[in-house]
Amino acid sequence: MTTFNLNADQQDCLQEIINVAMGQASDQLARYLDTFVYLKVPSIEQVNAQSLSNSLSQDQQSIAVVSQGFFGYEGIRGEALLVYQPQDSDRLADLLGYEPGELSVEEQIIDLSSILTTTFLNVFASQIDNQMSYSAPRLLSAGVSSVSEHLQQLSFNWDMALKVKISYQVTDYSFNCDMILLIPESAITNIKTVIDRILDEY
Amino acid sequence: MSVDTFCSAIINQLNTGVLVIDLDFNIVKWNRFLEIHTNKKPENAIGKCLFSTFPELPQKWFERKVASVVQLKSPSFCSWEQRHHLFNLPHTRPITTDSKVMAQNITFLPIETQGVIEHICILIEDVTDVCHYQSMLRQTLDELALANRIDGLTQIFNRKHWEECLAKEFSRARRYGHDVSLIMFDLDHFKRLNDTYGHQCGDMVLMEIAKLSQSLLRLCDIFGRYGGEEFAIILPETDLAGAADVAERIRKGIGKLSLTFQDKVITTSASIGVAVIESHNNRYEDLISNADTALYQAKALGRDRICLSQQQTECIELG
Repeated sequence: MTTFNLNADQQDCLQEIINVAMGQASDQLARYLDTFVYLKVPSIEQVNAQSLSNSLSQDQQSIAVVSQGFFGYEGIRGEALLVYQPQDSDRLADLLGYEPGELSVEEQIIDLSSILTTTFLNVFASQIDNQMSYSAPRLLSAGVSSVSEHLQQLSFNWDMALKVKISYQVTDYSFNCDMILLIPESAITNIKTVIDRILDEY
Repeated sequence: MSVDTFCSAIINQLNTGVLVIDLDFNIVKWNRFLEIHTNKKPENAIGKCLFSTFPELPQKWFERKVASVVQLKSPSFCSWEQRHHLFNLPHTRPITTDSKVMAQNITFLPIETQGVIEHICILIEDVTDVCHYQSMLRQTLDELALANRIDGLTQIFNRKHWEECLAKEFSRARRYGHDVSLIMFDLDHFKRLNDTYGHQCGDMVLMEIAKLSQSLLRLCDIFGRYGGEEFAIILPETDLAGAADVAERIRKGIGKLSLTFQDKVITTSASIGVAVIESHNNRYEDLISNADTALYQAKALGRDRICLSQQQTECIELG
């Protein structure tokens, strides 16, 4: 299945923009976290509402999901979901450079999510001459049902989502999380327009 | 009117705190919202250190937060749900909410001057209302959840919730090879009580029996109203003999109970069936039906007694 019905050129272009954004974001993260960050080329896939809902329900019980809205010029908008497994949250405070006990696990997860989302999307936006604004990240109450419910109740009608799987590996420390960008159909059309313009200029 | 005056007029009318600091944590600017809520004159704040103006701020945390905004050039957030507030400010609903300090959603924004971040803008939103309604909602949901589990008359677990508990305890006992016992008891001649003294009397007796039985149980026992005048108790980690002891305590307690209704002394008794999980029981319903059979036996043998369910049912005679 092609991503968002993009043609081969458009798809390559999107993958390239995301790769570059990922690279720069991880570079910034490494500096900020003051440790070596290794990451694989992000896998990008298209998921529809039903299959995403299903795949989240099949996951372990107590996943944490953080949601953060983003919006930029030219109608590019959506919602980022950061999905964590419980075992990933053990040493986040340490990684983020906070003192033990200084912030709760929830706050750590939210903080990290915001950092992952905004660093990635900031670079992504600048790649396409755009600029993003963000809503405050929210921890969706733990538990699978609430996540599936959330997906069904999203304020916009989204048909497809871009699932960017990021695996961060940090020296002496490892965690995985999936970043899922939910993008409404109208915004997908807008992204295509932007991609076409980039391809034209190229 | 110049754009600057225009902007500052608007910023001063905002119902949101706007605070600009430099990277040495000195206050560069703030709006009227903050001036009013802190009750400080600008000359006592502008140019002063943020942490001396707001000594309540968690300094190390705050510095780390600002460092992330500067380094990553991206906004950072702090929600009342994780931290109720950062700045110790009063709010506008001190009478109608129980909160003393303004609940806040805070945004840290990087402000670039010619491509370099030299300032951080901190937006402070008053979300006391949201926080208040959210806690009211949570309280209501808790009450609803409780109401959904409780029998309205006797205030013990209702049948539905009790049965869910049994299903859980049963499968746990089976998985780990532990004991779980079940006591089911029924008030003797309850219909006669209702017919003679009326349903209000019957209700009173049910409430008192529930209260008494609950007081004779251990903390981990799960007590519910199974239906009408029938009650049921799950006893985790308890063998048949242990459950029989509890049942006997309850039978004696009920027998001794003397209640008054409209100046008449009411006494009652209970027939009790006791069962323990057996290796061939695959479903929790098996346990119910064993206890129920024992209960039926206790009735058949003349009431006010306990019958134990086993390969051969044995009965403790009224003593």
